[in-house]
Amino acid sequence: MNNTAQTPKVSIIVPVYQVEMYLERAVDSLLAQTLKEKEILLVDDGSEDASPALCDRYAREYPGLVQVIHKENEGLGPARNTGVRAAAGEYIAFVDSDDTVEPTMYEEMYEKAVQDDCDIVMCDVRIRYVEEERETVSVTYPRREIDLPDYIANGNNITYSVNKLFRRSIWAENAYERMLFEDIALIPALMTRYQRVGYVQKPFYTYYRRANTISTSETGAMADIVQAFRYFLGRCNPAYREEAVYCAARQLYWNMTSSRPLFQADFIGLLKEYKKDFLLNPYLGRDKETRKLLAFLDREVIPDNLICVHFSGPVPEAYREEVRRDFPRARLLDADRSAFPADRLPPSVRLALEQGRTAYAEEYAALRLLYEEGGIVLAPDRRASLGLKRLRLNRVFFGFEDAEAITTGCFGALPGHYVIQALLETYEADTVYNQMFLPLGDRIRDFLMIHFGLKPNGRSQLLRQEVQVYLPSVLAYDMKDGDNCCKNASFPVPEGFEAVRDGVLRLWSDRLLENWTLYKKERDKKPAGANAPDKAAPPAPPLPERYRQELDDRVREVTEAYESSTSWRVTRPLRAVGGLWRKWRERRGS
Amino acid sequence: MSNNRALILVNSVYQLLTAVHLRRTVLSGREADLLVTDILPGWEALLPRLRDTGAFARVLSARAGELNRQYPAAREEAVDEAFRSLLPLFRGTLSDDLGEYSQVYFANFDLFTRMLACWYYTRPCEFIGYEDGFSSYVIDYLREDRAAINRHSDGRKIGDKISVMLLYEPHLAMRGDCLPNRPLPKIPRDDPALRETLNYIFGYRPQDYPPDGAADFLFLEQSFRAEGIRTNDLELMRECREAVGPGRFLVKPHPRNPENLPHRLGLTRKYAGTAPWELLLLNQDPAGRTLITVCSNAALTGRIVFGMDIPTVMLYRLFDGRVLWKEDDTLRRYLLRFRRQFAGKRYYVPETVYQLRSLLHYLGGRHE
Repeated sequence: MNNTAQTPKVSIIVPVYQVEMYLERAVDSLLAQTLKEKEILLVDDGSEDASPALCDRYAREYPGLVQVIHKENEGLGPARNTGVRAAAGEYIAFVDSDDTVEPTMYEEMYEKAVQDDCDIVMCDVRIRYVEEERETVSVTYPRREIDLPDYIANGNNITYSVNKLFRRSIWAENAYERMLFEDIALIPALMTRYQRVGYVQKPFYTYYRRANTISTSETGAMADIVQAFRYFLGRCNPAYREEAVYCAARQLYWNMTSSRPLFQADFIGLLKEYKKDFLLNPYLGRDKETRKLLAFLDREVIPDNLICVHFSGPVPEAYREEVRRDFPRARLLDADRSAFPADRLPPSVRLALEQGRTAYAEEYAALRLLYEEGGIVLAPDRRASLGLKRLRLNRVFFGFEDAEAITTGCFGALPGHYVIQALLETYEADTVYNQMFLPLGDRIRDFLMIHFGLKPNGRSQLLRQEVQVYLPSVLAYDMKDGDNCCKNASFPVPEGFEAVRDGVLRLWSDRLLENWTLYKKERDKKPAGANAPDKAAPPAPPLPERYRQELDDRVREVTEAYESSTSWRVTRPLRAVGGLWRKWRERRGS
Repeated sequence: MSNNRALILVNSVYQLLTAVHLRRTVLSGREADLLVTDILPGWEALLPRLRDTGAFARVLSARAGELNRQYPAAREEAVDEAFRSLLPLFRGTLSDDLGEYSQVYFANFDLFTRMLACWYYTRPCEFIGYEDGFSSYVIDYLREDRAAINRHSDGRKIGDKISVMLLYEPHLAMRGDCLPNRPLPKIPRDDPALRETLNYIFGYRPQDYPPDGAADFLFLEQSFRAEGIRTNDLELMRECREAVGPGRFLVKPHPRNPENLPHRLGLTRKYAGTAPWELLLLNQDPAGRTLITVCSNAALTGRIVFGMDIPTVMLYRLFDGRVLWKEDDTLRRYLLRFRRQFAGKRYYVPETVYQLRSLLHYLGGRHE
C-alpha cells in the first residue's frame, strides 16, 4: 500500500511454513504486482527454518506493505484464518508460499470484481510439474461469463482458494477448518452460496506441483479429504445441491479410482451417507463415466474401527502414536479386562482367565468386539501401516503368519459377519478344543479349511468371493515388496532389517525362486530367431554377468542362513535377492 | 432233530463273538448249531476249540467264501446257475448235512446265506438277522438296484424269510427297509464264564497284551490294502505317531491285509497278538488308552457292544480313499447320528490334520 492510510483494495495472505527455498520467489512475485493498493500478510505458521527471518526482512524492507504475523504451527487453514482476521482489504486473496503469481493478476481481478460487483472473481491456473519440467494450464471455465449452476457442475479449479479473489465480508461468516484439504471443505460450498462470480480468463496463478507435497504424498491425515467432501456437501447452498453433488461426484470418482484409491473405503462410507443424493442426481444420470461411481454404493466396507484388546497391560505408546499418525480418523476400540465382565464370557474363556491364559481370553474378546462393531483387530504388539486402509474393502480378511499358521495379530471383518459369528460360537460349546484352549489362529485356519476350502500353503486366496486370506508379507512380516500393511513389533531389529520366522524365510525364498524359474521358463520358450522380435516389447537381454554373480552369491547366503538358523532370522540377504529380482524385472519392463 | 433248534451262521470274528453271546442269552436253554464259514479268518483252527467248548450241539463249516467268489452276486447268469445247482453246491461246500431248524441267525446277505434261505424257504424256519457292525445299521442289502441277485426270484427269497434284525443299538438303525429292529443284549464285561469261553476259542493269553509294552494310542488298521483301495491311511498313521511320539503309538494290523505294512515302513512297533480286538476289550481295562482309526467298526465296538466309553479318534474326515462312507449318504448320516446321539464326549472326529495334531497333543498330555 506504500505507506498510505488508504484501505487496501486487496489483502494477499501468504501462510508460511518451512519454505525458505521458495518464499522469496513467491513474495517477489507479489511485490511485482501492478496493483498498488494492496497489503501482503505473511503468516509464519511456526516455521523452524529460515522462513521467519525472511518474513521479517520483507516486513522491514516494505513497511506498510508487508506485515508479518508469527504464530504457533496449526496448519494452513488456521494460518489463513489468522491472515483474514488481520486483513483490511476490500477483497482477500490467498497465495501459497511456494507458488507465484503474474504481475497483473490482482489488478485485473480487482477491476473485474468492482466492475461486476462480484463476491468472488476467478482466474485460470498454470500447473508446473517441477520434476517433470513441464506445465499445463487448467482452464477454470470455457466461457468468459460464468453460468453458476453449469460452473459448479462442470467447471474446473472450483476447490482452489488461490485462483480467487474474495469479498472480505465473506470471511465474516466463514473460516477454514483445521484439517488437510481445507480448500475442498470450504471453497466449493462458498461458490454455491455467493452467486456474484466473475472470471478473468487468464492463467495468473502458477502452482508448482512437486512430489512429496500434501497433494502427492499419502499420509494418514489424508483421510481428511473425506471429511472435507462431507463439509462441502453439508454446507452447500440447497438451491445448487444437485450441481454440488455432481461436482463432488466427479471429484470423488477421480479420487477413488485414480488419485487416492488407498482411501476408497473411506470414500465409500461418504457415498453411502449421501446415497439418495447420488442416486437421484440428474447430472450423474447423463454422465456415463462418472455414473460408475454409483457401483461403489453396493460395496460394503469394513468400518474404520481399530480393535485393540489388552488384558495383560496398557497399550504401548508407540502403538497409539502410529494409530494417531496413520489412522487419525479411525475409532480405536481399546478394551481392557474391565470391558468383559466374567459373567459375559463363555466358560472356557472364564477358566482361561482364572488360569492366567490371557492370550486366549484376549483373542476371544477381540473376536467378539469385531463381531459386534466390525473393523480391524490390531494386537498391541503389531504396527500397522497406511496400506491397511485398503483392506477395509474386504468383507472379512485374515493373513498367513507362515506357510500354515494364520495370524491373529491383524484381521478384520464387517460387523455381524457370519464367519466371525461362527468362530465366536466355537468358544461356547463344551468341546475338546475349548478344554485344550485351542488358539484362535488354529480355529480360524481349521474353520476356513473345513468350510471354505482354504489351502494351508501361505499363499493369497480369495475363498468363495467372501474371505480374503493374505500372504505372510501382508499382515505379518514386511518383506519390503510394498504389500505390507501390518507387522510384528515384538522383536526390535535395526533399521532396514526384519525379523521373520524360518518358515517364512523359506516360503519367501521359494516364492522368489519360483518367480525366477517362471521367468526363465518364459524367456526360454522362444528360441532365438524363432519369432520376429516384438517391437513394442523387445525381448529382455540375458542377465548381465554382474547381476548373475551377485544373485548366485545372495542365493548362497540365503541357503547358508537357512542351514544355520534355529528360529528367527534377519532377512537382509533375502531382500537383496528380491531387490535384484525387482531390479531385473524393472530393467526388463523399461 | 428238534424243530426248536437254531442255527447261527458266522463269517467274522465280530459275528462269532456275538454268536457265542447269542447262544448264552437269546438262545439259552435251546439247542443250537454253529455254522462257521471260510470267510472267518483262521476258521479251521477255531473249529476244534469251538467244539471243545460244548456251547453248540454241532459245529459245521462251509466254504462259502469260495462259493461267493465263484458265483458273483452281481452277475445274473452266475446267480441263476448257483440257485439251479443248489443241492450239489451245498454238498461240495458244507462239512456236514444241514439239520432242521426253527430259526437261522445270520449277519450277511451273501450268496451262501441266500441259498440257505432258499433251502429252507418252504419250511417253518424263521431267518433272523444279527449285527455285523455299522453296515447292519445303514445298508439295505435287498434293494433291487444293489445287485443282480436281488432281482433273482430265488435270491429274493431271503427277504420273505427274514423277520427281524437284532442290533446292539436298534435306535441307530437307518437302513430304510421295513424290517423291525430289536435289541441284542449288550455283552457284559463282568461275565467271567463268557470271557473264559471266548479266551479259549481265540487262544487269548492276557500276558501277550498289549504286545511290546504299553501303547497309549492304538491305531486300528483297516483292510483297505486287502480290498485294493488306494488311501492315505499310512500318512495318517505317520501324523498320529508324530503327534504322540513313537513310544506311545502302536498300529494293530488288520488280519485281512497281506502284510503288516505300517510295521515294515517303520511307522509302528510290531503288534504280535492275533486275538480279536473285542477280546482285548473284554480282558483289559482300556483306561488311559486312546483308539485311533479311520472308520473301523472295531473302534465303535466298545461303545456299541460293551457300552464302554473309550477315547476314540475317528479319522474318516481326513481320509482320501474311495470308500463307502464317503459315497453313501446313509452311512454318512449314520456316522453323524452316532457321533451326536450316542458316541459321548470322548469321541472325536477331527476335520483337519491340524485339529488332529492339537487333539492328539492334548489327549497325550503334550499340549502347550
